[in-house]
Amino acid sequence: METNYETIVIGGGVVGSGIAYHLSERYKEGVLVLDKKYPMSGTSGSTQAWVWVHNKTPSWYAEFNMYSAELYPYLSKKIGDVEYKRTGGLSPFFNESDREKAQKLAESYRKIGIKIKVLSREEVLEKEPYMNPEVAGATYSSIDGNVNPFRLIDMYMRAAKRNGVRYSTYNKVTEIKKQDGKYSVVSDKGAFECKNLILAGGTWSREIGDMLGVKIPVNQLRGQILVSEPLKPFLNFTISGLRQANNGEVLMGYSMEEAGFNRATTLDVIQETANMAVQYVPGLRKAKIVRAFSGIRAMPEDGFPILGKVPGHENLYVAATHSGVTLSPLIGTLITELIMDGETSIPIDRYSLSRFG
Amino acid sequence: MKTDVLIIGGGPAGLSAAIETASRGLDVTIVDEASQLGGQLNQQTQVMRQLPSVYEPMRGFELANKLIELIKDCNVRQLLNHRVVGFYADGSVGITDEENVFPVKAKKIIVASGAAEKAVAFPKWTMPGIMTIGAAQTLINRDFVMPGREAVIVGSSDFAMETAIQLMDVGIRVKAIIEKQSGALAKEQEKVSELSRSGIPFYFNSFIKEARGNGQVEQIDVALPDEVITLNVDLVCMDGGRAPILDVFYQLGCSFGFQEELGGWVPQYNNRFQTDREDVFIAGNAAGITTQGPLLLTGMIAGISASEELQAISPAEANEMREALWKELGLLEYREVYSGRVKHLENFASPVLKDQFIS
Amino acid sequence: MDKTTIICRCEEISCEEVEEVISNGGRTFDDVKRITRCGMGPCQAKICTSMVAEIIHQQTGLSPSEIPLPRMRMPLSPIKLETLATNSTSFSTVKSVLDEVELEEGKVR
Repeated sequence: METNYETIVIGGGVVGSGIAYHLSERYKEGVLVLDKKYPMSGTSGSTQAWVWVHNKTPSWYAEFNMYSAELYPYLSKKIGDVEYKRTGGLSPFFNESDREKAQKLAESYRKIGIKIKVLSREEVLEKEPYMNPEVAGATYSSIDGNVNPFRLIDMYMRAAKRNGVRYSTYNKVTEIKKQDGKYSVVSDKGAFECKNLILAGGTWSREIGDMLGVKIPVNQLRGQILVSEPLKPFLNFTISGLRQANNGEVLMGYSMEEAGFNRATTLDVIQETANMAVQYVPGLRKAKIVRAFSGIRAMPEDGFPILGKVPGHENLYVAATHSGVTLSPLIGTLITELIMDGETSIPIDRYSLSRFG
Repeated sequence: MKTDVLIIGGGPAGLSAAIETASRGLDVTIVDEASQLGGQLNQQTQVMRQLPSVYEPMRGFELANKLIELIKDCNVRQLLNHRVVGFYADGSVGITDEENVFPVKAKKIIVASGAAEKAVAFPKWTMPGIMTIGAAQTLINRDFVMPGREAVIVGSSDFAMETAIQLMDVGIRVKAIIEKQSGALAKEQEKVSELSRSGIPFYFNSFIKEARGNGQVEQIDVALPDEVITLNVDLVCMDGGRAPILDVFYQLGCSFGFQEELGGWVPQYNNRFQTDREDVFIAGNAAGITTQGPLLLTGMIAGISASEELQAISPAEANEMREALWKELGLLEYREVYSGRVKHLENFASPVLKDQFIS
Repeated sequence: MDKTTIICRCEEISCEEVEEVISNGGRTFDDVKRITRCGMGPCQAKICTSMVAEIIHQQTGLSPSEIPLPRMRMPLSPIKLETLATNSTSFSTVKSVLDEVELEEGKVR
């Protein structure tokens, strides 16, 4: 296998593969993606995969997510059907007292041009007839939706490979050395050299940064999700907490636990998630749950993406974030611009690693 | 709910573990999905001769009754028509009666989850009329339903031979036994001879090329070494071998090793039939695919080991009993299975698959 | 094995589809599962596990002990949501999206 590359991406998840694909649109040869297992075996393959804007705060961060969501229709045209659906997003609340908070959210978004409506009970039920009639209201945004994460990454990989990107899977990076202005990436299957190195290690970003003496403060946050048997299509929207996939399965869950890299599921959270699901959509009571899974989110210390050049290291880039599914088209585009043009079309200074000092 | 010992699976191994623990005064709970205890024994009509010395030779369903009778006098809570759903963060076992899921906190867990049959893939193997040998056996012996009139068996293990004889006994015509290896795999040659004497052809180095039928299997093409023949059948019984059922161990975080002679992936355990999760013991086919006598012995050893940890029996006494039972296991178990088991024990400290939830 | 042979009967995945994943670098049952849905149906891979392992073995030469078990999941068998649910409406690890909206001095942060 070729050992010299213009650019190496460490991590083939939704962020790494998204970057590799977008890079491959601009130059055809010289990109290698290294993955310690196989893409999708980590966070990117264990997600509900909402393409989600509407409760992200502050509003400048929502705006960033919105730009990425806007790229999705075009992305599916380019790489193939990723089952992207802009369903619109509904976030229900069950206490009238939450309406004020919802209105404040809508107000702060209005300033940046994201339309969020605060719906009455009747409006919610009109949009989503299977929602619990005891719902007090919901926030609604038309830009939210979801995607099939497996299709998304598979299509990124296929398109990237067509454009000449090489993948080396089941190949763990063990050491990174800087030599004569180049990076030497030592892996289970040998050493590779490159000019540009992109760290897209997701939950393992901290460990990969350590190899270069760079502190990338990313922690792990576990989420557990339940999947039902396929049901006839009956949910119209991506509801914060559950969504129905193209094949009729309903995915449910919005839990957060600090459990390090432990991907176990627990009945405690499974039952709590079941309670959430039947509270939101009582019609799901008779549905059978066929599996539960856990995903470990990559969670930067302050909650915001870490993107761009690594200060003090020439030609070293980092892309580490939660909401990787929502953000991958934009991150792929911006990192490509940064490498090819030296600047980005949307400022990303705010997301620099330098903010952690 | 709290219990000293929770036994998952009420087949022969689970029942013998229950006898060993409950007879020593421990509070024992058995959970099983079925509506009766005994597991696979209930549909086994053949006489079992190679049983532990405490049992006379008897038929499978008679053995089930015998074991059930032995636990009747002890304090055993039976959760029939109940199943294990999963586990709570504190280690409690989540069990459902199909109304609710409730936690059972057990000091020791003995898992006797048994084995699952493997299918044999060939074009159209998913058609009705094509089933595993175990499914065919259940239909004729337990449900008294004729699964077909004209059958072939794919595979030639002892279980396959036994099922072929039982199919003939109820009047089903067995047209052939198809084996991809060059000879019969069954260890008990007398069953193979019995079938040969009845005029049933054994096709070795052969496999099913394709099945055909309109909503139900009607015809199969069998690829013999030098020609393809067509048989009209309405029943194909597949013997793809059996493998331990592992999902409970997997969720409990137990480690696994690979041992061909035991059926593939098997949880790691030591000579006390204790897994590397110290409160979890293993018994029966889950600990390696074997025959009825050894199944009972593994349950007995696991039960004795759990009793010892709960101080219902002294370590010296437990050791002595374990030693005797292991000796008997060595006598009753097929040689390659037993030596596979011994090899498996040696790998206890170095499992191939561990920490399955750490990414 | 014939390319059209069904390997996963729940999701109707053929031998050919499984082989394609392996030729693209997949090495485990779970790689095959994520890309093809093989083993994601109601039986949760109880039937196809050994067949997929056999195909991986034939295509890659990996020995059976090098082909890890698929990830097994709760619930151990399908269960109705209402059986799992306790109908409590107080949540600790499960959040609502509005919970996450942070207010600062009465305004959204």
